[in-house]
Amino acid sequence: MQAGRGGAGVTAPSYRELFRQALRVRLAELKVAEIYPSDKIQSPVHLSLGQEHHAAALAASLLPGDQVYTTYRSHALYLAQGGDMKKMFAELYGRAGGISGGKAGSMHLCAPEAGLMGSSAIVGATLPHAMGAAYAFKLKNEPRVAVSVTGDGSTEEGVFSECLNFSSLKKLPVVFVVENNGLAIHARIENRQAYRLEALAGAYGIRYAMAPDGFDLEGVAAAFAPVLAASRAGEGPAVFEIKTCRYLQHVGVDGDLDKGYRCPREVGDWRCRDPLETDAALADELRPEIEREIDEAVAFAEASPVPPASDTFKDVI
Amino acid sequence: MTATMTYREALKLSMRDAMVSDPGCLIYGLGVTDFTGIFGTTLGLEKEFGPGRVFDTPLSEDAMTGLAVGAALNGLYPIHIHIRNDFTLLTMNQVVNSIAKYRYMYGGLFQLPLLIRSVVGRSWGQGAQHSQSLQALFAHVPGLTVVMPASAASVLDTYAHAVKKFKGPVISLEHRLLYDYSFNLPDAPPPADPFAPRLARAGRDVTVVAVSSMVIDALHAADYMSREAGIEAEVIDLHCLTARDLGLVLSSVRKTGRLLVADTGWASYGVCAEICRAVAVSDPGALKAPVAEAAPAHAPCPTAKALENSFYPDMGTVVDKCYSLALGPGHGRPLPSEEFKRKLRKEFKGPF
Repeated sequence: MQAGRGGAGVTAPSYRELFRQALRVRLAELKVAEIYPSDKIQSPVHLSLGQEHHAAALAASLLPGDQVYTTYRSHALYLAQGGDMKKMFAELYGRAGGISGGKAGSMHLCAPEAGLMGSSAIVGATLPHAMGAAYAFKLKNEPRVAVSVTGDGSTEEGVFSECLNFSSLKKLPVVFVVENNGLAIHARIENRQAYRLEALAGAYGIRYAMAPDGFDLEGVAAAFAPVLAASRAGEGPAVFEIKTCRYLQHVGVDGDLDKGYRCPREVGDWRCRDPLETDAALADELRPEIEREIDEAVAFAEASPVPPASDTFKDVI
Repeated sequence: MTATMTYREALKLSMRDAMVSDPGCLIYGLGVTDFTGIFGTTLGLEKEFGPGRVFDTPLSEDAMTGLAVGAALNGLYPIHIHIRNDFTLLTMNQVVNSIAKYRYMYGGLFQLPLLIRSVVGRSWGQGAQHSQSLQALFAHVPGLTVVMPASAASVLDTYAHAVKKFKGPVISLEHRLLYDYSFNLPDAPPPADPFAPRLARAGRDVTVVAVSSMVIDALHAADYMSREAGIEAEVIDLHCLTARDLGLVLSSVRKTGRLLVADTGWASYGVCAEICRAVAVSDPGALKAPVAEAAPAHAPCPTAKALENSFYPDMGTVVDKCYSLALGPGHGRPLPSEEFKRKLRKEFKGPF
């Protein structure tokens, strides 16, 4: 199922479809959290809980042929972009039937057939990869856009500024999407950044747009569409910032509101208007089918064989 | 008459051949399109192939290396060039964390065909940050193919193979001292596997495994020893530091029982250490004497000529160590004079 690509960016994706996709991610992530204590998933997981909405909106806005390069917090984009859920669970389980036969785990999901070309555990590492893809698109005169999706912490890396400079210099069709949840592990953004992202983009002559509410499914899609269209039309790179909220701890499946580094009310304010929680009627309607898909995916993972030891030496060079 | 070609000419030819044979080939890096053109090896390419495929870059080694990843994933063949090997340290996050692992980490779903060239400086006061030969850092990491072409023919066959046949990332270190050497081009066809060690000179008394410019020193030393002492050194150009098959080295050591490793980089944890490891784990009994090494002093490279001379090994070092291996320590044989060595060596002059 190429879920989430139905909108194809031509017409605005419907609230219902965006909701369904975000709920699908939410329920899959909750399933990961449920399984995690069993130790069947022996890999660090950086869950997307709280960040499913914009992933659904971004993926629904892209066209076939566009490419996405992202981070270790990649479950949401993987699923929304159309990655196979069965293969994802098998990958988390470290099984031969996983996307990468168990070599990637949670942090390096990819779905080349759906345009997700890589996820790195090194913050900022995939920024220039998206730029390189955009360079190729432009050189071949193809109307495709490369999208980098990284967190607010990545904008502090030197490579972010390097990429803004070069992509602006060459007018590349690349959009740097910044998922701003205000946290880098446990470090708050006000203790890390002396700049405003809009001003930083402006310094390089790069268009900037923002979705102030990452939970607004249609709002994110509506704000993203013109940004994407302009890059596709040859107007060069853009920075697109999305304000959002990370519900759980940086890595793992537990909450951390009791740890004292962030205010529970900040998260509470987001939660009380999370459509996946407030629109219970639609969630209830869509849940059974999604749960069936998740159950099938988990069963697939459980039944998938472990990779043979010989795979250790495969695909090195 | 045997055809000859300088190392520099071979590089220039290889770059143009890459651009002609692969319409997706990109050549970029600091200085690629300026009037020096990476010591002349990329001159004229921007004009011939256009600024989309041949371009100078901002001083952004991290991003420019990452650019190669996205480009290679989309069917291009990036060649990223650094005029000093030292600058590749600024690329290490991309090279080690992304490029070396892209195929493996995703379970073989992707391949990254690309080439990173860099130039090792030496002589005329290059000093601590313009002279490093850091092949060991790259060769340590699984997933990279590291080559150090030591002749014009090596450049031609190795780069043609990298661009036209090989599907993975290749890191090449070119020694600045080699650029002006003229090499005979062999009549024989190129080696079946261009990413394998090469026999540079056959011999029976001592095995010298050398890389890059040290191959030249080893060959000069071998000729000298043959003439002066009747000692025949077998010189193996290691060429590909990540080659899995070191049969050529092992069979030579079994024959001679004596091994000297000559590297342009530091001995510890480097080529010297690695070749010794290969012999030690495979056939330590083949050695009739302790192994010897010819490598830069374990110090940063000093700038003053007097210090530089004691920092670097040269053909005299190779002769001295081979004599010790073949004749025993305290061999008492005269070594080549400074005057003699100066005539053989091609140092470059000037700040660049």
